[in-house]
Amino acid sequence: MADLATVLLTAAGLCFFLAGTAGVIRFPDIHSRLHALTKADNLGLGFIAVGVALQAESWAQVARLGLIWALALLAAGTVAQLVARAALTDRAAAPDGAKRGSRR
Amino acid sequence: MAAATTQAALHRFALFGAVWIVLTSAEPGGMLAGALAVPAAVWMSLRLLPARRPVVLLRLALHAPRFLYGSVAGGVDVARRAFSPSMPLDPGWIAVPVDLPDAGRVALGAELSLMPGTLAAGTQGDRLLVHLLDCKAGFDAAIPQEAAAMAEILAVAPPPRSS
Repeated sequence: MADLATVLLTAAGLCFFLAGTAGVIRFPDIHSRLHALTKADNLGLGFIAVGVALQAESWAQVARLGLIWALALLAAGTVAQLVARAALTDRAAAPDGAKRGSRR
Repeated sequence: MAAATTQAALHRFALFGAVWIVLTSAEPGGMLAGALAVPAAVWMSLRLLPARRPVVLLRLALHAPRFLYGSVAGGVDVARRAFSPSMPLDPGWIAVPVDLPDAGRVALGAELSLMPGTLAAGTQGDRLLVHLLDCKAGFDAAIPQEAAAMAEILAVAPPPRSS
């Protein structure tokens, strides 16, 4: 029963990673791609973590999986903002060469 | 001010202590190193992110299910769009007035970036720049609610425009 749930959950997780990758390839601009990268991949990691947790032999392994997911979530939320901001200032500066120097 | 620092130090001590116990599987051999590493981590975190106002942990815990639901909905939504042959997207930008301290805005931005269809890209004046994956899908309706929830977590006055 636990094995079946693990197979289903990790398969669902892989589907979301695939969706994130499809989004990165198919979506038209960098900000739309960031949506796919952060949201789909985090959900994929969450499903895989829950699926693997069902096979864990101790509470410590479950807690470690939870910690990994929480840190990945925190990193994704933070990095997505930073990349979005950097892409924004790059794009704002790109058409006008004079603005490049004033970029932070 | 000192009370806020003491409270934050206790919270962070509990948090980092829990992380240490998880990392070492509560092995007795790791406790001595933890007794050094955890206070060092608390000290460093208080230097890097000083406690200005106490976080209402109860509000944070109450907000967790909503955040979890939102991040699942966000992942499902973006996956559906990525796999759909017609790829329904209508990307665009909005600037939302957000009455939160800087740390609250960063936390709100991180949260919105995992919720359906929204992605924060820093601020413009006192407005949060938000990228919408689909301008017609009404993703922006959730932003004032999330901002109000963040204000409650940080125990600051709720933003005036939480209609």
